[in-house]
Order: sequence, then structure tokens, then C-alpha cells
Amino acid sequence: MNRLPTGTYLPGDSIIHRLDSRIKLLILLITVVAILLVNALIGYGIMVVFIATTILLSRISLSTALNSVSNLYWFFLVIFLMNTAFYSPEDAWVSFWIFTPSLMGMMQGIDVVLRVCLVLVITNVITSATAPLEITKALENLILPLKYIGIPAEQIAMILSIAIQFIPTLSEETDMIRKAQMARGARFDSPKLTEKAKAVLPMVIPIFFTAFKRADELSIAMEARGYRSAAGRTKKKFTPLQFQDYSALAIVILVGILQIIIR
Amino acid sequence: MKEMSVVKLSIITAVCLALCVVLPQAFHAIPGAGSIYLPMHIPVLLCGLICGWKFGLLCGIAGPALSTLFTGMPPVPVLPAMMVELAVYGLVSGLMMQIIRTKKVYVDLYASLLIAMMSGRIVAGIVRALIFSRGNISMATWATSYFVTSLPGIIIQIVLIPSIVYALMKARLIPMRYPHAEG
Repeated sequence: MNRLPTGTYLPGDSIIHRLDSRIKLLILLITVVAILLVNALIGYGIMVVFIATTILLSRISLSTALNSVSNLYWFFLVIFLMNTAFYSPEDAWVSFWIFTPSLMGMMQGIDVVLRVCLVLVITNVITSATAPLEITKALENLILPLKYIGIPAEQIAMILSIAIQFIPTLSEETDMIRKAQMARGARFDSPKLTEKAKAVLPMVIPIFFTAFKRADELSIAMEARGYRSAAGRTKKKFTPLQFQDYSALAIVILVGILQIIIR
Repeated sequence: MKEMSVVKLSIITAVCLALCVVLPQAFHAIPGAGSIYLPMHIPVLLCGLICGWKFGLLCGIAGPALSTLFTGMPPVPVLPAMMVELAVYGLVSGLMMQIIRTKKVYVDLYASLLIAMMSGRIVAGIVRALIFSRGNISMATWATSYFVTSLPGIIIQIVLIPSIVYALMKARLIPMRYPHAEG
């Protein structure tokens, strides 16, 4: 059986699931900034403990939480090797052609890979514990103030919400098309770049056609029902933030402040 | 070209945004494909060419951000530079389609596409040199990362994007650019 795609919503009743979606997006944003601020071992320790606690509280299995990282081992290997080989030519152990491997480069490679891993895991946990519709509503709510500076925030919010709802459908269809092309002999895993490129073309064209056909059908349906503009439409109001939402936000802000102090 | 309604333009933009998340995921099944085939560029360029500069710009800014939010890729440190690059693709491709009108669809499409691809790369190089990777990017690194490594992606974009737009016109999923000239 296939593994769940990264970021797929996993219904549940954990503390993280019950948090307000706007707060969850803010938590994600602050955590990512905190990860970018880390520049000491203790900083990494704090982030690892914080993210591990979030995974525990979300009751999402460790394998699911780490799914996004395990899918990208090639990417991490390339990042690590490139940093090791090119980052610090002046401290190189040996110099061979264009390669100048160094300890500094190796440490930089580990640093970059660790940061990316932490960002991927926290993103995966938060999106797995938040229904796509909730993410949509939270995004809408967070960008609405833009309308006061003349940006059509309601229209952008509508576009974003439709885009988010399209992701699972198009993802399934893309997977189906990819498998169908593989069954027809497409060689995505061929070592030859030209064969890979030839395999890519018959996959991409049907994906776009299916997607645009869906867009056409949806726009006809919306216009037929009298939809003209996102502005002025009524929407469901958010429930007021609870004590647990404020607490979660306070904790993540504290983690961010700790990272600034440690720097 | 017969104008599309705002609703249809919005929905096409939404679909292109969703493809900014979905396509890279499909390409990640092929080892090392993300940085070679540049899958996220295709929907953004298409959106700019079909829907115009405003929607292209939105797609270029929001596409990578949504992808980071849902899949963690591109990683956050790379995200700002990528948002600028893709925003320029969407913006310039839309503007060029508005400006260039040669009565030949393919000429309009290729000219707009190539100018957009070039502008995006130049602006991305400049913002990386001045802001995001200050002091860590040379002319050689820029040329390697934006032209050499991604050469298969560039070729795929040049081959694929005008053909997709033309095929969508022929399939009547978007209006013809010159309805009288092409019957």
C-alpha cells in the first residue's frame, strides 16, 4: 500500500488538533523563524525538544511525522555533499579539481540539512493535524487586513481556498497519470537524462489538461449559480480564541525569544 | 482574444496554484528531478501567459509559499528568492502577452515566454547577490544554477508551455487569441 502523501490531514482529537487554525499557522510561522535563528547546539536542542513535544501532543505517529524527511534523502545527500565539497576552500583538507572538502563545509552541510529537516517535520505535523478547510479559513482570515491597502484580499482568499481544495484531487489524478504512463513504459528511473525527459512530457500534458478541464467546469458551475465576485460575500465567523490557544502561542513565542537570547 | 470572466481567471489561477504544490511532488518521485526539471515554473508561466500579469504575479508569489506550507518544499531559506523569481515569471509573461501582438499565437507565446524566463533569472540573480545570498554568489554560480543545472527544465518549458497554451485554445478550454485568423 502507498504511504500517505506528506501533509495529508489525519483526523484526531489531540490538543494540537483542537487548537484554532489561525493560531496553528502562527505557531508554524514563528517556529520556522525560530529554526532559522538557531546558531548554537543548545538552540537545536530546544527546537528538537519543542518539535518532539508537538508530535507527542498531536498523537501523530513518529513515522508519519518523519515521512516528509524520509522521502527526500537524495536532496539531503546532495545538499550535504555540496556544502562539504565547496563551502570553505581556505580550510580544505585536500584540493582536487574544483572540490575543496573541509570540516567547516561538513559542519555547514549538517547545519543546513538539520534546519531543513526540522522545518519539514513541523510543517508536516501542523498540516497533518489541521483540516485543509481550516487552513483555508485561517489563511483567508490572516490576509483580510490587506484589503485596507487596496489589495483585493477577498478575491485572493477565494483563489487560495479553491487552490487548497484542488490539491488532494489533483494529487490523486497526477499519481494515477504517472502510474498509467509507467505502465505504458515511461522510464522515470532511467539513468539517462533524455529518457527521463521523454517520460516527463507525456505525464505533464494530461495533468494540465485534466486540471484546466476541472477549472472550466467549476467556473461554469459558479457563474451559473450567480457567483460574480468574492467581495461582500458572507462567511462563517471564527469562534473566539480559547485559553489553550493563547497558551500555545505564548509557548512558541517563548521558544522564539529563547533563540534570540541564545544568539 | 475574447476576455475571460474574472471568475474563470480566478479558478484557472487557483488550479495553477494547486499545480505548484502537486507537480513538484510528482517530480520528486524521480530522483534529483526538482532542481533539474523546475516543475513549479511551468504552472506560474502558464498562469501569466493565460490569465495576465495580476494573476501571474499572485501565482508566482503564493505558489511557492503554499508548497512550503503543505510539503515543506522549497525549504524556507530558499523560499524568498524563489518567490521573487517566480513572481517575475508570472508578472513579465502576463505583461508581455499584453504588449506583444504579432497576429501569430506561437510568436507571441515564445517571445513572452523567453523574455519572462530571462527576466526571472536575471532578477533572481540580482536579489540573491544583493539580499538573500550576499557575498556568496558569483557570476559563475549564477550561470551554473540558473542555466546549466536546469537546462533540461528550460528545454522542457520552451517545448511544453506554448504547446500547452495552444492546445488549451484548440480544446476551447481558454479563448483563442486571434479567433478570426485561426478560424
